[in-house]
Amino acid sequence: MEEKAISVTGLKKGFDGNEILKGIDFDLEKGENLVVLGKSGVGKSVLIKCIVKLIEPDDGDIEVLGTDIRSLHKDDELNEYRRKVGFLFQGGALYDAMTVEENMRFPLERLPNKPDNDEIEKRIEEALENVGLEDTRKKMPAELSGGMNKRIALARTLILQPQIMLYDEPTTGLDPATSKEISHLILEMQDKYKMSSVIITHDMKCAEITANRMKVIKDGVFAFEGSYDDLSSKDDPWLKNFFE
Amino acid sequence: MKITESLPDSLQKFLINIAGIGRYSALFFRQIFRGPLEIREIINQSYKLGYQSLFLVTTTGFIIGMVMTLQTKPTLEQFGAESWLPAMVSISIIREIGPVLTALVCAGKVGSGIGAELGSMKVTEQIDAMTVSGANSFNYLVVSRVIATSLMVPVLVFYADAVSLIGSYVGVNLEGDVSVQLFYHQSLGALVFSDIVPAVAKTFFFGFAIGIIGCYEGVNASKGTTGVGNAANRAVVISSMFIFVIDLMAVQLTQLFI
Ligand SMILES: Nc1ncnc2c1ncn2[C@@H]1O[C@H](COP(=O)(O)OP(=O)(O)OP(=O)(O)O)[C@@H](O)[C@H]1O
Ligand SMILES: [Mg+2]
Repeated sequence: MEEKAISVTGLKKGFDGNEILKGIDFDLEKGENLVVLGKSGVGKSVLIKCIVKLIEPDDGDIEVLGTDIRSLHKDDELNEYRRKVGFLFQGGALYDAMTVEENMRFPLERLPNKPDNDEIEKRIEEALENVGLEDTRKKMPAELSGGMNKRIALARTLILQPQIMLYDEPTTGLDPATSKEISHLILEMQDKYKMSSVIITHDMKCAEITANRMKVIKDGVFAFEGSYDDLSSKDDPWLKNFFE
Repeated sequence: MKITESLPDSLQKFLINIAGIGRYSALFFRQIFRGPLEIREIINQSYKLGYQSLFLVTTTGFIIGMVMTLQTKPTLEQFGAESWLPAMVSISIIREIGPVLTALVCAGKVGSGIGAELGSMKVTEQIDAMTVSGANSFNYLVVSRVIATSLMVPVLVFYADAVSLIGSYVGVNLEGDVSVQLFYHQSLGALVFSDIVPAVAKTFFFGFAIGIIGCYEGVNASKGTTGVGNAANRAVVISSMFIFVIDLMAVQLTQLFI
């Protein structure tokens, strides 16, 4: 059997006795784009934060690239694992005390075998070129527009060349045209770097552009699954709300 | 019933806070021995912190030196002991007022700054972003800042002592005529080893407390804008309290050994 990019079984997580995720199961195949849909507050962000160990699940197994992530305890192992899994935060999370260039440099300079300066320069150049923002190098994050902010955040995540990408609502808060651009950018990067991705969104346009497969969370479990066309043609009234 | 459950809520929270600060201190020392330190960030933070508080430390130092001199003067005059004035003022400044006042000023200015800065980094997920990029955010953010405060608070105290003595000199000369040389002899000549060493040593602890408490409160800020405000506020309140506790312990220890 081929190794899965991500394999989650029976994932449970609650906060203060309030159960949010109630048994999540899913697999992410290599090279696949899985879109996860769900209403605000169902725990979509919590789900992918469990995958990068920002949040400890209460129960369940998470295997990523064949490794049970519970077996990662030492800081070095954990950091090495985290570099393989890119995470795009809902708000971008650019370091606002640093320029765009310093933002990009930050993770590279902290690699265990730090690349030399030329290599770092080359990778920053390439990353900014990928997102079409070469001229923002010296800018501070506060000077960027929302769309630019997301692009730079994407570039900063991709600079470590992760094998898996987790996108937390990459297009929320952007106008429709910019959302579309970002969605296409995600596809392009996917293709260029041969990554597997989980994309969380409630932007249907983004889902339509990027999804190979979709899953919908309802009440702490996955309630629907299928391609974009499958789901959009279903008769379920709850589900229909998303597609209107 | 567990004993912890019988305590009032706010006291429980406070104790949890103190325990967290203790754990943070342990992590700090572990990280220091593991290395590597973020030298550039330490320099950067030290510079920022010194620069931020220089003006405040200068004004408070100068004014305190002068005011103490002016207020002590009439009393000493009654006893005809005016020539002791510089010695009295310098001993109280160097032993006590300089270190404590400067540390409190830094707790207000620097401690709250650290709390607010890390707090907002926390709520905008910047700290999480560092973590998931495989970088050691504790080393970069916390260790650098704590080293910076531990080194810079003593420097600022030294500077504040000097400025206070200048203030005192000006105070003496408002209605009098004492030469710089005489003032220098009268004030610093009175100081002995046991005045200076404990006074210097405790400033490192003041700096450490300001740094580690500011960082702890910032990193543990709760979501939302009030979370950041509360973090900054707690950083100031708890570190000011620690400064007095450390000061008290320093006095006790000094009396034990000297
Ligand atoms: N660290 C935490 N501590 C306590 N509760 C949390 C924490 N993180 C998330 N929650 C709670 O878990 C629930 C799900 O949060 P989550 O951020 O995953 O929602 P979401 O599906 O991503 O929503 P959105 O689309 O608005 O981002 C929320 O009710 C939130 O209050
Ligand atoms: Mg979310």
